Amino acid sequence: MSRQVTITIDGQQVTAAEGDKLLWVALDHGIYIPHLCGIREKEHPDASCRLCFVEVEGLPNPVTSCTLPVKEGMVVRTRSERVDRLVRTAFELLLSNHRLSCAKCGKNGRCELQKIAQERGLKLKLTRMRSLLVEKPVDDSPEKFYYDPNRCVLCGRCVWADREKAKIGAIGFVRRGMDRRVAAFWEQPLADSPCIECLACVEACPVGALVAKEMKE
Amino acid sequence: MEIEITAEEREAIKTTVAEALEKNSYRRDRLLPILQEVQGRLGYLPREAMEQIASSLKIPEVDVYSVATFYNQFRLNPPGEHQIKVCMGTACHMAGGHIIMDSFARRLNIKEGETTPDRKFSLERVACVGCCALAPVVVVNENVEGKVRPTRVDGILMALGKEIGKKNEEEKR
Amino acid sequence: MSAVLERYEALKRQAEQTLTARLEKPRVLVGTATCGRAAGALKVLEVFREGVAQHGLDVEVEEVGCLGYCYAEPTVIIYKPGFPPLCYMNVDEGIASRLVTDYLVGGDPCFDFAYAALEPNDVFPTLADYPRGFSEQRIILADCGLINPEDINQYLQRDGYRALAKALSMAPEEIIGEIKASGLRGRGGAGFPTGVKWEICRSKEADEKYVICNADEGDPGAFMDRALLESTPHQLLEGLIIAGYAVGAKQGYIYVRAEYPLAIERLKTALAQAREKGLLGENILGSGFSFAIDLFQGSGAFVCGEETALIASMEGRAGIPSHRPPFPAEKGFRGKPTVINNVKTLSYVPHIIRNGAEWFRSIGTPSSPGTAVLALAGKVVGTGLVEVPMGTTLRTLIYDVGGGIKNDKAFKAVQIGGPSGGCLPESALDLPIDFDSLQQAGAMMGSGGVVVLDEDDCMVEIARYFLEFTQKESCGKCTFCRLGTRQMLEILTDITKGRGKLEDIDLLQEIAEDVKAGSLCGLGKTAPNPVLTTLRFFRHEYEIHVKEGRCPALMCKDLISYVIDPKKCRKLCDACVGSCPVEAVYTRPDQLKAIDLEKCVKCDNCLVTCLPLYQAVIKVSPPLKVEGGQDK
Repeated sequence: MSRQVTITIDGQQVTAAEGDKLLWVALDHGIYIPHLCGIREKEHPDASCRLCFVEVEGLPNPVTSCTLPVKEGMVVRTRSERVDRLVRTAFELLLSNHRLSCAKCGKNGRCELQKIAQERGLKLKLTRMRSLLVEKPVDDSPEKFYYDPNRCVLCGRCVWADREKAKIGAIGFVRRGMDRRVAAFWEQPLADSPCIECLACVEACPVGALVAKEMKE
Repeated sequence: MEIEITAEEREAIKTTVAEALEKNSYRRDRLLPILQEVQGRLGYLPREAMEQIASSLKIPEVDVYSVATFYNQFRLNPPGEHQIKVCMGTACHMAGGHIIMDSFARRLNIKEGETTPDRKFSLERVACVGCCALAPVVVVNENVEGKVRPTRVDGILMALGKEIGKKNEEEKR
Repeated sequence: MSAVLERYEALKRQAEQTLTARLEKPRVLVGTATCGRAAGALKVLEVFREGVAQHGLDVEVEEVGCLGYCYAEPTVIIYKPGFPPLCYMNVDEGIASRLVTDYLVGGDPCFDFAYAALEPNDVFPTLADYPRGFSEQRIILADCGLINPEDINQYLQRDGYRALAKALSMAPEEIIGEIKASGLRGRGGAGFPTGVKWEICRSKEADEKYVICNADEGDPGAFMDRALLESTPHQLLEGLIIAGYAVGAKQGYIYVRAEYPLAIERLKTALAQAREKGLLGENILGSGFSFAIDLFQGSGAFVCGEETALIASMEGRAGIPSHRPPFPAEKGFRGKPTVINNVKTLSYVPHIIRNGAEWFRSIGTPSSPGTAVLALAGKVVGTGLVEVPMGTTLRTLIYDVGGGIKNDKAFKAVQIGGPSGGCLPESALDLPIDFDSLQQAGAMMGSGGVVVLDEDDCMVEIARYFLEFTQKESCGKCTFCRLGTRQMLEILTDITKGRGKLEDIDLLQEIAEDVKAGSLCGLGKTAPNPVLTTLRFFRHEYEIHVKEGRCPALMCKDLISYVIDPKKCRKLCDACVGSCPVEAVYTRPDQLKAIDLEKCVKCDNCLVTCLPLYQAVIKVSPPLKVEGGQDK
């Protein structure tokens, strides 16, 4: 049993188990912090989406809340000029490589990107950035879902679900840098992979990359 | 990108992979040395080799593919008979390495990272071979050529058996 | 004297006995590290070997590593009784055969070809009599190019492995105390105190611990690790074994780039020799301490220089960094406490143990003790590997050690620290080279690559070059590095192609700052440095590209045209015509040459070919918009 500590988030006092990651503590208390890659059960967070920045009193720079263990007396602000700037840039960067046609997306209305935009007053279109999107074919081979890599934000939640929930190992991250993507072996269609279509990955996907087919028109 | 392989080649792949696995005690954490060994002997990483490695190490195939596609060293296609690596280190770049790269690309009519259709030449970039004082540098089949000027490009290719003049005439026709 | 030291003394005596007979004879040392080989050292070696055989001479011909005078490769050193050891530079096959006949057979040391003597004497200047030798202070490069890297006896003879014997007679905590007191900071880039790292690892309870030498030198423009591995591998092994003993590890690894085949070969030889002498393996020097070292070959990913990525790759996964803490010193390779040190860092260790922390602190600056090993490249006369005390100014480095700018051109900037470093202008030349001063100036020690840039180098292009590199090498895990560096690269590319807009410069600055603040690992956090420093010191160059469509350094291909100045062109010379691969150079009716701009691919051939006497081919910017020939 870990010790209970009291911390302050945006002026609100909350209690939590010492060492729990701030992101989940905040969310559990109804305080929203943008996030895509966070997985509560994962001991060592990926910290790859770079959206969950907060200011912590005593720390010189904004930090990612998914990696921050809470300590007694910690004083946190989820918004500041610096935090907002980083979140905005990270968000716009993700959009710059994302197919931006929400109306045609199977996750329209249930998409985490839309939620972040709404919560933080950000636009769902490119204003500053150049579009980096190079259209890749949609994998329509599975019976129950489809995979649109053009909407993938590389959060890794599907890969985690495939490994830890479904225990399959059909998909993983392949290639590097801008070419990094979620794919099956040899980048073959998912229907030719060991995938059993349990839909664990579809459930995990926060955006319109993995979408169950009945949701489609 | 799919490559036809003969039964003979298939057999060679099988033995090579088996030996590489054996040498590394079938250890999952030895995946890089295993892939290095296989590529060292076959020149590239065939799909069949990766499948065999995955099943022997009892790991998902995509995990082998993930590693093979991450590192610069690994190639999924057979290389050309002669490998030309143009150094793109800082010193070489500033001394005109990109011009040398362009010259090779133009002469071989391929882009960086490609192999000529006759499989004679492949053209690659390397980050730095550590011969900065001799910039720009080209590594031709493991030999380091220093202070390469664009005018030497044809000479290097001709020494490797490329018929430069003829090619130009063909192009003209 | 302890039993361990006695064993060591016996080994050393044995080495001396083996060598005495050989060292009394005349010897020829040829530097055959990779850079020497590229300059033709193996042919020179062959000439000496054949000459010695042909004349039946009793002369040893040996291969040694790199002296660091890369611009003057191949280098040769000749020991012959009666004369001080002499160093010859730029030795080609002709000079080599002259040295065989005139010096080895005859008695004339050919002073015309000699550069310096290695020992003080009355007849010939020594290396220290030149500004370079005077400004340098060699600790870890001291043996480079002077000893045969494949002969452990030569290392032993120069007191090699004495520090190991001494360390094994000390308590591990004592060693860590000494390293801490020395103030040694990691030479891999960030400058973290080495002793502190060791202490954290030592303090962790664990059944296994590891020490790893990071020799995955991926900085495009740094080659000091390669030179050290190829020239004096035992120095590193000694440091690594001491590190293992100090932190309580039984297993060490050297993570070395697969692109360094010669270094790997020489390391393997060194490992076998150390094992054979009982300096590595079970019960080292009878101390009861056992330690093994294995090589691990990296597969070419710059990001693997980052500790957590290096570990991922050693565990058989893609080299993707993870969030720290936990730090590897607490939880690293296979989940065990792991110390990861750079080649240079470990190479200092034997010297500090042997000479003491006080001695080390007496060199360099209070916050950055010791020396800086730098790879000097670019538009400087004396390119090569240098070692100067920390705190030496950039001016001394470039003008005294490096001998100034090539071809009487004007200095423009110095890029220090590679892709994580920055470009500093002339006003920064009096900045001392140390971890903190460089960081304050927006650059970084990085791995120590120094590229000198002159008036012909475009600062936008160099920023674009480094961003292209980091963008290619980004692992792609985190948003800022994967997409932020790409956005920056797109903007920089647009500017170098004359498509940039004025507001792009501000956007570039904003993204660069955010990538620096928001990235997950060191690669992303430092990737914007080349952009931020060029924006800070050379913003006007960006603006000229954007506003005038002109590249002042005449470097950006899309912003220049090649033309032939008819006033300088000579009628009877056809050199440029023949050099053109696309037949863009043609002869005008008046027999002078001109360039068809539509055909021209800007390959530089004609400019290189045109005789220095004429220099008729010139570059102009902004590019000419003329259809057909330049003269129409």
